[in-house]
Amino acid sequence: MTRDRLDLVLEAYFRPTPAPAGLAARVLAAAREVERVGLPFGGRLAIRASARGIVGIAPGGRSEASSAAARRLAARARTELAEYLAGRRTFFSVPVDLTSLPAFQRRVLQAAREIPFGEARPYAWVAHRIGRPRAVRAVGTALARNPVPLVIPCHRVVRSDGTPGEYALGAAMKRRLHALEEATPRLEGCTSTRIVCRVGCAHGRRMRPANRIVFASVGDARALGYRACRICRPAAAA
Amino acid sequence: MDRDRALMRDVAARDDAAFTELVERYGGRLLAVARRLLQTEADAEDAVQRAFLQCYLGAAGYRPEFAVSTWLYRILTNVCVDELRRQARRRGAADAAPPAPARDADIHRLDLARAFGRVPREARVLLALRYVDGLGYRDLARIRGISVNTVKSQLARGKRILRRALDTEGLL
Repeated sequence: MTRDRLDLVLEAYFRPTPAPAGLAARVLAAAREVERVGLPFGGRLAIRASARGIVGIAPGGRSEASSAAARRLAARARTELAEYLAGRRTFFSVPVDLTSLPAFQRRVLQAAREIPFGEARPYAWVAHRIGRPRAVRAVGTALARNPVPLVIPCHRVVRSDGTPGEYALGAAMKRRLHALEEATPRLEGCTSTRIVCRVGCAHGRRMRPANRIVFASVGDARALGYRACRICRPAAAA
Repeated sequence: MDRDRALMRDVAARDDAAFTELVERYGGRLLAVARRLLQTEADAEDAVQRAFLQCYLGAAGYRPEFAVSTWLYRILTNVCVDELRRQARRRGAADAAPPAPARDADIHRLDLARAFGRVPREARVLLALRYVDGLGYRDLARIRGISVNTVKSQLARGKRILRRALDTEGLL
């Protein structure tokens, strides 16, 4: 290929400079910190399930499931939660069972569930969403008693000034979950199947790490010859 | 086994000296790619640091049939593309072109940065890899998991947009 004036301009523009001093030491320090801190909740959560769905999630304690179907759902929730906390999942597909909760709290939690991964909404947004704009305080109380945190993302509800506000599992954990979601990619493609999925899709879970490509949008992936997954339908979710 | 692969084997065994040598070998090139993609020095350094962190923590998963450079560029471009998504979301438009950097000593460079910002995201990634390290079509295809023909068409499209923008400004 003959090089023209544009090639020369681009070569000058992209010319590398030496690595900044101390880069390796900073990365090694960050790696030690990651290994020291570990996963949120130490990756350990107790899950209670009915045959209809997940009833409760709490750090520590014992898991409970009253039937074989409930045990299967609890196991599925455990897998999905572990993936979410490790930054490999952006949505939950395991069902929740809120039937024992008062109607108002169910509506509040359903509204919280509509907040997209990695985003946040104020308490007033939830109150508007359920048609009770003046019930902001009651919304806060209902969220504080969320029996299935993480799967129903009450941590995505924040104060109107953008600060995280309170959280049943601690304000520090709320900030950590926000940081986790901010750092988790949304879309990944598999180089062998040329399919793009939401991170956490069943198709993507079979993907070898070496075949994983991150995309910024489904449009970008399509432009490179990838097709959208028919299981997780990333375009509809984006 | 070449030196890069030997280094990766030692990094997987948590040899900090080997990791430092790997960073010295590739840090400058990775930073040059990230700098042009992300436009700000702080975002670029952060992306390179995160890419090397993933390299260190995931070294045991490195497969020697990949060249180490291919593997590192794959990790870095995954990090940068996700950061570009965040930048676009912060600006409120998922596919809007990024702003040119606020400060640059060289006015020519500023125009070039602005023109580069008009190139579609994935073509920008390929152009950066192509011109920082002189990578061939096959390497680029492997890094982004696409066909060689797609690499060629994306590069041609990106260069066409750059040429038009720079011609208009009288810079070519």
